[in-house]
Amino acid sequence: MAKVTREMVEKNGINVEQLVELLVKNASAELTTFYYYTILRLNLIGLEGEGIKEIAETARIEDRNHFEALVPRIYELDGKLPGHMNDFHDISACPPAALPGDPTDITAMLTVLVEAERCAVRGYTHICNMTAGKDHRTYDLSQSILNEEIQHESWFSEFLGEGPSGHFMRRGETSPFVSKFLK
Amino acid sequence: MEIITKEELSKYNGQGAPSYVAYKDTVYDVSSSFLWKAGRHQVLHNAGEDMTENMHDAPHGDNMLERFPVVGILASDGG
Repeated sequence: MAKVTREMVEKNGINVEQLVELLVKNASAELTTFYYYTILRLNLIGLEGEGIKEIAETARIEDRNHFEALVPRIYELDGKLPGHMNDFHDISACPPAALPGDPTDITAMLTVLVEAERCAVRGYTHICNMTAGKDHRTYDLSQSILNEEIQHESWFSEFLGEGPSGHFMRRGETSPFVSKFLK
Repeated sequence: MEIITKEELSKYNGQGAPSYVAYKDTVYDVSSSFLWKAGRHQVLHNAGEDMTENMHDAPHGDNMLERFPVVGILASDGG
């Protein structure tokens, strides 16, 4: 725990217990999404699937990075992760990104992926709104994650034909926004 | 359509009961949602309550509620 850090956040009017619970639930969403995306990526095969595999893999690794980046903030604020993985899974801020019944249905696969990203975009927008001007470190972290989640959403959305976003797949290292929290 | 008072709504809080929420006088059953487990939603919201005012601050639109069955109309006087 970082005592003064927590005090400053409380003094700025944030309900730290609520904030920590939100961070834990979103950390759960990141780690469980990393797990479910592993299965989705494995099943992205064939002429259509192979074209999506690369961005699904990047999103998978970046979601794991988000989990890694969130955990220290949770403990700084005197929170903790559940002791059991089952409990952690079940409190996720987002529904499981489970493999569709027909993994060869690329539209169904993309819908699972884009819905997961949209849930994350909503979640981090919510945390940013809650912490803006009040908890600078959590805001910076959440905004960094949000930047990457928006790109993930855009990648999958474009494959669904929802229109261009101006984004392109990653070149170079993953997590261009969140990597500063991982060093 | 069943008329549900605010007091009746409060009993559908997801604690051993279905999770109902009201929005603009319509009552929805959100029990099937992963995001309303045990009647709690994103830490800040509880089932059994009128969410109309909360929707302004939500990071989503009211179209989210279209996914859930309508189970009644909130009594106009709030019960």
